[in-house]
Amino acid sequence: MCDCQECEQFLQPYLDRQLTQAEVLEAETHLDECSYCRRAYHFEEKLRMYVRRAASEPMRPELKQKLAALRISL
Amino acid sequence: MSETTPDTDARRIAREARDRVRFEEEALDLADQVYRVARHMVNSREEAEDLVQEAYARAFRSWKQFTPGTNLRAWLLRILTNINIDRGRKLQRTPDMQSLEAGDYYLFEKLEDSGGEITDEERVDERLSQDSIVDALSEVPHDFRDVIVLVDIGDFSYAEAAQILDIPVGTVMSRLHRGRRILKRQLAEEAVADV
Repeated sequence: MCDCQECEQFLQPYLDRQLTQAEVLEAETHLDECSYCRRAYHFEEKLRMYVRRAASEPMRPELKQKLAALRISL
Repeated sequence: MSETTPDTDARRIAREARDRVRFEEEALDLADQVYRVARHMVNSREEAEDLVQEAYARAFRSWKQFTPGTNLRAWLLRILTNINIDRGRKLQRTPDMQSLEAGDYYLFEKLEDSGGEITDEERVDERLSQDSIVDALSEVPHDFRDVIVLVDIGDFSYAEAAQILDIPVGTVMSRLHRGRRILKRQLAEEAVADV
């Protein structure tokens, strides 16, 4: 079983599904027993979704019209 | 037998016109997604709009270079990235990133230290504003930010991001991991300063 420091190292590759099965098991054994790391992992998951949403500024309709006007086939 | 007659020429021209219309329509359908990525590759909305327009103008001119059946979204982003590089941003030498990077728990620790335990039910926007995310992202150096924007915001795979940025897949992954840590460090500094 790993400690909190090692569990922190596993955070990104765990969520990216880049760990080996043995490493996943190591991380999950620690997560089962450590509420601090569990909270940190949950937070990271939610943060990723929030970044995606927060950074998604829609395109202005004016730009869409300008792009359509660049078409050569019309 | 292979000689072209006026009839086959006319057919070829008609087919080409049809292919071109289809290409342009498919490209325009992807404009929202292309813009979403462009918006965070540069620092202002105006710059992003300008970049997208130039990319589309170039794409429409060189549409025949696109191989039908391959990934049009990645092809468009590759054009856009090349224009952005030609415009003089980068190839900046990456400064010492170590100083910008902190551990993966850094932001979480700072938020819990300043505002108490983060429960599973709690929403991230109770601790971090949307503006703080956009501001922090703009502080991440370009090489790292481009990868975050493509993979985490644009939903491109590692392989697609590697193709668009013309770097190895391993570099995409290491920049993504380091970039996310830099982003969290920036967020921690902004968010905790606000409390």
